[in-house]
Amino acid sequence: MTKTHYHAIGKKTVRKDGLAKVTGQEIYTSDLFLPRMLHGRVLRSPYPHARVKKIDTRSAEALGAVCITFKEVPDITYAERIVTIPQKTFKDRHVLTDHPRHVGEAVAAVAAETAELAEKALGLIRVEYERLPALFDAVEAMKPESIALYETIFFGQEELRVSNNVAATREIIEGDIEKGFLESEIIVEEEFRTGRVYHAQMETKSVVCQPEADGGITVWTTTQTIHNVRQLLGEIFKIPLNKVNVKKISVGGAFGSSIQMNSVVPIGVALALKARRPVKIVLTREEDMVDHCKYPSYIRLKLGAKKDGKLMAGHMRVIVDIGAHNTQAYPLLGCMAGWWVSLYRLPHLKFEGKAVYTNKVPACAMQGFGNPQVTFAVESLMEILAEILGMDSIDLRLKNYVGLGETFWGQGPTVRSIIQSCGVEEMLLKGAELSGWKERKKTLEGTIRRGLGMARGFHTSGAGAPMPGEVIDYSGSIVKINEDGSVDFMTALMDLGGGTLDALAKIVAEELKVPLEKVGISSVDTRTTVYDVCTHATRGIYCGGGALHKVTAQAKSKLLEFASRILQAPPHALKIEIDEEAGQGMIYVEGVPGKRISVGEVAKTAQINNWGTIAAVDSLRQVNCPPTFNAQFIEVEVNTETGVIRPVRAVLCSDAGQVINPDLAEGQLYGGLYRGLGYALLEDTDYDKETGELKNRGLFTDFKMLTAEEIPRLEDIQTYFTHTREPTGPFGAKGIGEAALNPTAAAVVNAIYDAIGIRFTKIPVTPEMVLKALNEKRNQG
Amino acid sequence: MEYYRPQHLKRVLQLLGGGKGKAKLIAGGTNVIPDLRGKTIQPDALIDLSHLKSLSYIKEGNKSIRLGALTTIAQMASSKVIKNYAPILSEAAQQLGNPLVRNRATIGGNLSDASPAADTAPPLLALDARIITENATNNKKAIPIDQFFKGPNQTVLKRDEMIKEIIVPKWTSPHIKTAYIKLGLRNSMSISVISMALWIDVEEMFCKQIRIGLGAVAPTPIRALKTEEMVTGKEITPDLIEACGSELKKEVRPITDIRASAEYRREMASVLFKRLIERVTFEQRE
Repeated sequence: MTKTHYHAIGKKTVRKDGLAKVTGQEIYTSDLFLPRMLHGRVLRSPYPHARVKKIDTRSAEALGAVCITFKEVPDITYAERIVTIPQKTFKDRHVLTDHPRHVGEAVAAVAAETAELAEKALGLIRVEYERLPALFDAVEAMKPESIALYETIFFGQEELRVSNNVAATREIIEGDIEKGFLESEIIVEEEFRTGRVYHAQMETKSVVCQPEADGGITVWTTTQTIHNVRQLLGEIFKIPLNKVNVKKISVGGAFGSSIQMNSVVPIGVALALKARRPVKIVLTREEDMVDHCKYPSYIRLKLGAKKDGKLMAGHMRVIVDIGAHNTQAYPLLGCMAGWWVSLYRLPHLKFEGKAVYTNKVPACAMQGFGNPQVTFAVESLMEILAEILGMDSIDLRLKNYVGLGETFWGQGPTVRSIIQSCGVEEMLLKGAELSGWKERKKTLEGTIRRGLGMARGFHTSGAGAPMPGEVIDYSGSIVKINEDGSVDFMTALMDLGGGTLDALAKIVAEELKVPLEKVGISSVDTRTTVYDVCTHATRGIYCGGGALHKVTAQAKSKLLEFASRILQAPPHALKIEIDEEAGQGMIYVEGVPGKRISVGEVAKTAQINNWGTIAAVDSLRQVNCPPTFNAQFIEVEVNTETGVIRPVRAVLCSDAGQVINPDLAEGQLYGGLYRGLGYALLEDTDYDKETGELKNRGLFTDFKMLTAEEIPRLEDIQTYFTHTREPTGPFGAKGIGEAALNPTAAAVVNAIYDAIGIRFTKIPVTPEMVLKALNEKRNQG
Repeated sequence: MEYYRPQHLKRVLQLLGGGKGKAKLIAGGTNVIPDLRGKTIQPDALIDLSHLKSLSYIKEGNKSIRLGALTTIAQMASSKVIKNYAPILSEAAQQLGNPLVRNRATIGGNLSDASPAADTAPPLLALDARIITENATNNKKAIPIDQFFKGPNQTVLKRDEMIKEIIVPKWTSPHIKTAYIKLGLRNSMSISVISMALWIDVEEMFCKQIRIGLGAVAPTPIRALKTEEMVTGKEITPDLIEACGSELKKEVRPITDIRASAEYRREMASVLFKRLIERVTFEQRE
């Protein structure tokens, strides 16, 4: 690695939106108030499966409320998530429905002068439902005698019959698994289950819609993609896109829950269009909890290996209970296959995935898009295999991992590229050293037992590849150098709270050698930006930042061209450096005294001489989605009397390439660990099979998440970043976010095994499960 | 729904006795508001007690300490008087909910809500507290806490009656020890899976008297009377502790709910009892 001198990249800096956020001055959708704005509320089905026989809104309207039902919204079947290409997108949604398929599905909505009046009006809508039998289990749902939740759905433009409630399937075969297993000397197989976790993003989904005099609409909403929201609204309401403007506004966390256009958005728009007044809807927590959740999974995994540990074959079967809507389980299944096969080399493999409809809250992407589920299974089974082989599991991993120069396809079979930077070995060895992996001792006595576990994983930085696959992935930006040497940049890329846009500002500052505080992140909307697909798939810095880097370099060319006119030297003879004292980027001719001018002077001279603004606009499709690798070593204490598991120490290793901001990068690792521990030990949702309701009734009281008291203390968490650079990334950077959570559950379960000799294959691992297993073990022993 | 915010106790009792449909008292609202939102209660009127400052106090008397019904959990958690004379109540208060909840929730509310998991109940049971109530005709009653709860969210309070004060007796014997444990799905902001409070008069491992208060293992917070009987007047030995653990498992009547199964709660009753006994007899065994 060459030593590079950066003034912004890799430095700890205070994020630009930090002050506004910690002092409560940042504006979110729910903070907006527009003149003449009405407050909207949504009427939701109390039943998991029903037909609306009759709906009467007269009493609500008599109160002065504006009401809409399924009869008054565009009759269109749409897909809320459009990052997949249209031909491969499944559609089964309606703005409002007369056929609710889960408790909480929207059937009508009202808007009124005040929130109280809207609430009152909502209570006055009379609905006559015909209850239908409901399904709460994916395996049950696939039985031929089960009721069909959908007759047909759309796949692209084509109407598709749904059989056995299977929403999507995927089968991927490489090599010949029968041959592979025949050649294997050891075969291991296990079933794994993961929970149905609620995203619990701080901001509940919200929308404000203002109808414009020209027939257009302006929309502020919780989203990870303003352009996809714009395009979908244009399609649903038949408004030309130039009249649909979606404003970018801060998001209070997302974790994947707003990759799709949220179902509340078109409801808010329909109300506003009918009322001809602005309408605001902010979901209550109870509503938000019946809006989305993480994909749960049932995974059956079989691996075959030679006695020396070389993997020969693998067979993975997956069933995903997607709930009432298909928020694109087809790419999910492709990705689940991809996460699996890109972890370890498998000469022969077969993946079979099924996504199944049930009458539960619709599942969608959440931190990893199937990756934590798959990595939990794979990294548990690798540990089982290592034990049978009598090998250190780290050696087994080192022998088989997919690394530098190899093809990988994390984002599914159509998104293939070559790995160009890889810190796997560095992380496994360094992590082992830092955690005391080799020295760990088995103490299977006493009430409190300690165990150390590890797991590795990765996530892709975006979904780019040389060939256009099933998923759209590109970004764009505008960069403009102001007349005092400061810079504005405009991007549709969303910052979901992790500091993505702050990282982007640093990329601009570094490329132009201007001070970070002179780079401004512009308030933008869909009118003032070029397309960016979405902030998802850990793509913000690598793809969004990559595009911005490209555009900044174009602006820099123009800057140097103007500077060359002034300095009377060709552009390629010019160098640029930061002058911290002057607070300017300085352009100079090396070795020639006096030939030096600031970026601001160039821009001002260009203005005075009418040369024009120094600006650029362009898009970039990254032709790679480099894996950001990760390894975690987690130590737990298991109380054998209560079954309570307490994570006490962690070593978190990350191969994110060049780190942009060490503080925020560490924050991502802490956040991933935190949520991963919750995934492993606590977070889940369950249903009352009689009523079809969430047992937690949409309240945080009974959707428990960990607190600071249950996770390792900060001083007991060590982070380590590898010395890698991604040649295709902006300044050598890759992504980080989702990778930070993917291996956690497996590391925890492996640690529990180390502590008490019991392997759990279902998460979350609750104290009850631990105690029961300990008792069973005691009775057997 | 009607809403009243009376300034005086007298008016509250009048409203309660007024008989206009179902009235619900609301103090901190940490139970009532979620119940209203979840539609598990649908009262005709809400009577807001938050302005009755006269019922918010912690007073030390010669033989007892007295807590006004509207004393917040936060006040209890930081009270020196409670820490000195009812340390297990202090601990329970410190572990209830989170700071936001503790700032709003009141002891009167916690008890009259009568959740089987009410955090202040087990220590008050172990401390043998009395609940002073008053009704619309100004009749006052002193109800021993072990006779106060009737079932999940049910108490002996009549429609026109409310809790005014809680009296916690001071103890005189120097051999009294107390201890408290709450087990939840996490360490804070948690409704208990099981909680247990112990009050014991023990000298050189001989137990003169014992009271065990339990939460979340029966339709109401309970005393473990049979287990208490097994220990009273006995020398505490490992065998006796073991036997008591088994008895407790039989004595509790837990249910399976979203937080834990009945089996787990039963198992934990025994585990927690052992821990508490070990804690209070630790010095003596040394």
